[in-house]
Amino acid sequence: MIPPSWIAGLAAILFVIGLSGAFSRKNAIIVLMAVELMLNAVNLNFVAAAMHHGDLTGWVYTAIAIAIAAAEVAVGLAIFLSLYSQHDTISLDEVTLLKH
Amino acid sequence: MSDHSKPEWHLMMPIAAMLLFPIICYKIGWDAIDSSIFIVAIPLVVWPAIAIIGQVWKKTDWWKNHLKEGGIIALAALAVSLCLTVWLIISFLKDHGSFGAQDSDLASFAWLNFDILAHDGVSWEILGTEKLGFTIGFGIYVDALTLMLLFVAAFLCFLIGWFAIGYMTTDAVNEDRNHRFFAEFLLFSCGMFGMVLADNFLWLFIFWEIMGLCSYLLIGFYWEKPSAAAAAKKAFMTTRVGDVFLMVGLFILYDLYHSLSFEVIFDPAIIDTVDPERLRLALIMMFIGAVGKSAQFPLHVWLPDAMEGPTPVSALIHAATMVNAGLYLVARMFPFFGAAGFEGEFTDVALLIAWIGGITAIMAAAIAFVANDIKRVLAYSTMSQLAYIFTGLGAACWFANTGHPEYAALAFGAALFHLFNHAMAKGMLFMASGSVIHEMHHAHHHAHGGEDDGAGGSEGDDHFDAQDMRNMGGLAAKMPVTSVAMMLGSMSIIGIPLIGGFWSKEGIIGQAWHAAISQDGGAMLVPAVLLLATAGMTGFYMSRMWFMTFAGKPKSEVAKHVGEDTHWIKTPLVTLSIVTAFTGAIFAVLNFPEWLGEGEELMHGIESHGLAEQVVAVLEHTFLPHESTLMAVGWTAIVISAVLGPFLAARIHGGKLARGEQANAFVGWLVQISGSVGRTNVDEVAKSGFALALHNRLYIDDVYEWVIARTVLPLGRLLAWFDSSGVDGVIKGIESGSQASSSWLRLMTTGSARDYILMAAVGALCIFALMWGVA
Repeated sequence: MIPPSWIAGLAAILFVIGLSGAFSRKNAIIVLMAVELMLNAVNLNFVAAAMHHGDLTGWVYTAIAIAIAAAEVAVGLAIFLSLYSQHDTISLDEVTLLKH
Repeated sequence: MSDHSKPEWHLMMPIAAMLLFPIICYKIGWDAIDSSIFIVAIPLVVWPAIAIIGQVWKKTDWWKNHLKEGGIIALAALAVSLCLTVWLIISFLKDHGSFGAQDSDLASFAWLNFDILAHDGVSWEILGTEKLGFTIGFGIYVDALTLMLLFVAAFLCFLIGWFAIGYMTTDAVNEDRNHRFFAEFLLFSCGMFGMVLADNFLWLFIFWEIMGLCSYLLIGFYWEKPSAAAAAKKAFMTTRVGDVFLMVGLFILYDLYHSLSFEVIFDPAIIDTVDPERLRLALIMMFIGAVGKSAQFPLHVWLPDAMEGPTPVSALIHAATMVNAGLYLVARMFPFFGAAGFEGEFTDVALLIAWIGGITAIMAAAIAFVANDIKRVLAYSTMSQLAYIFTGLGAACWFANTGHPEYAALAFGAALFHLFNHAMAKGMLFMASGSVIHEMHHAHHHAHGGEDDGAGGSEGDDHFDAQDMRNMGGLAAKMPVTSVAMMLGSMSIIGIPLIGGFWSKEGIIGQAWHAAISQDGGAMLVPAVLLLATAGMTGFYMSRMWFMTFAGKPKSEVAKHVGEDTHWIKTPLVTLSIVTAFTGAIFAVLNFPEWLGEGEELMHGIESHGLAEQVVAVLEHTFLPHESTLMAVGWTAIVISAVLGPFLAARIHGGKLARGEQANAFVGWLVQISGSVGRTNVDEVAKSGFALALHNRLYIDDVYEWVIARTVLPLGRLLAWFDSSGVDGVIKGIESGSQASSSWLRLMTTGSARDYILMAAVGALCIFALMWGVA
């Protein structure tokens, strides 16, 4: 069986990849994907911890988190659609509506 | 001016209806003293109504013509107060004064409860009202002094209100703001009634301050005139100086007696149980308060300037109400001097009162010599006459404190009697002067095309001064009612034998001299001499005013075209003429001073030995006193005030009327005499340094200005600087600091989503790092 520490390590690598993606990309959809990546890294961490402790709670959390993430992606994509229809772009550099 | 001259008696109907008010009170079973709360309450309720209704509907016809811009409402309220006052007096006299101090526990509602922090030796605890009874409520305290002043105030306020309707509503400059005048007027009256009726010093002080406020508002009624605004401020600030002292005096008094109620303080068993040294301090402080309110030296400077207000206000402030408040306070202090345990303790305070009176009397009379503004002459005369009353009260206090209650009662009665006579005469004199000014003003406008200059009743664009006596002269032929009223008022103030103020003034001078010649009374000699000299000076300056105004030939074109018209002005003058001419003698026969002074029954003299005997006794007492000094003093006073002073004035300022003009029989003889006593030219004297000093009010105002410019103003500037840079600096620093930091922090919101993610990440890392460190 794969030791939990490996899973935690994979989760850490995925999280860093997601984080750097979220920083560096302009395209909102790619940033959303990167965020999803970070989320799933966290899910992996849950699984690893659940394995380590032999406790089902972590699995349950993971299931809930995946369900919420699906909903969140739907909301995010809806925002991008509306953004695109109003500004003709989904480049994060050009959308600065929250500026001071 | 036919539009003012049509009779408007129908407007008096609502006022006549107010006479029913006491009857209704009686029918529902209230007696006079229960109803007396309405004397204060009705004006208090009505004045805001006038102010509000007037503000909203001031343009309408019914407000202007049928309610006289609120004047009728105010007069109706004052009529209620007057009726109730008369009822109170009648029922008081019917009981032969049996409801005096003992019937005064009418605290209608508890208003202030004092919880006292007391130390019982072990711990501090709060003692509630129920334990100690320190409640201050508003109650009614009625004795002879209260009734006398209440009547003076109610009667004069009513007549002045009547006069004011005629005076104020015919002046175009007052257009659309008379409702303010009448509302403030009514509040002022309410303040006086309340102050007189209050049964404790706290409420006395509250109403005292209400009057102070109203005097400020009324003196500054023509606020657009800088001089009026400055006069209002001066009056307010000057009386405030006295008020602070009064407040401190009341603090000490409360500390001594643990109460401010008259009933407690003046209880014979309590009054002399306190430390006389501290009580002396309280008395002096309270006296300074009275000095400020009654315009005595050295706090007198506000009163001549207060003439900037409309004339009814001058009459109200200087005759009926405000200046009498200080006298009332001193008269209320009288029992302290008579208390058995304090004998000989407060002679210095009594002397202070008498000295201040004496100094003010002669100083004001001297300044009145050279004043040319008719109202200012009256203002200085008021100061001088109030000073008489103060000296009389001082003599009364001195006698009481040196163990001569019988003489003290005489002096006290004479002083208060003079207050009555002076209030009546001076109220009338001010109204008469108002009548003159009013007509001069109107004549001036007619002569100059009727254009209103908007200068508030005293000066036009060509600097014509309707109040300057040098523009008058010969008015006796044109203003018969006013000239007779003015003559009677002046006679009363001068003390022409048998008329008005003579009876009381003789009493005051006599008692002051009596004190001076009694044992250890040497220090009373100075005020006594000053009073005697002032009597002659009064004879001069009052006559001078009359002759300058009414005798001789018109001194300006305007003075040839005056006439009197509206009954609103004439009726109060006639009423007060009768009162002034006769009440002095009648009240003297009725033992009015004794009633005031020692609580004797009115008319006890007549009851004990018949009317004729009583008249003879009073005359003998006045003209042929047994003591030779008093007789000499009395006759000196009569000669210099009634003969010498008027004679000199007639020689300098008198003169026959212009050809073809005829004064009525009442004053014609006086004009004739003044024209035939010869003439003295005083131009040289009038240019002398002393006259100049008098013109400049003995430089007292200038000294104040000098001192204030060097002490108060720099201090004020320092405090203003501290306020603007210190106090405000802190607050503004907080404000501008947070403003600056927030605008700097705002730069972090770039609007770029990636920056936010970065911040979230860095923030999360920091949190982890912290948790790492803690764990």
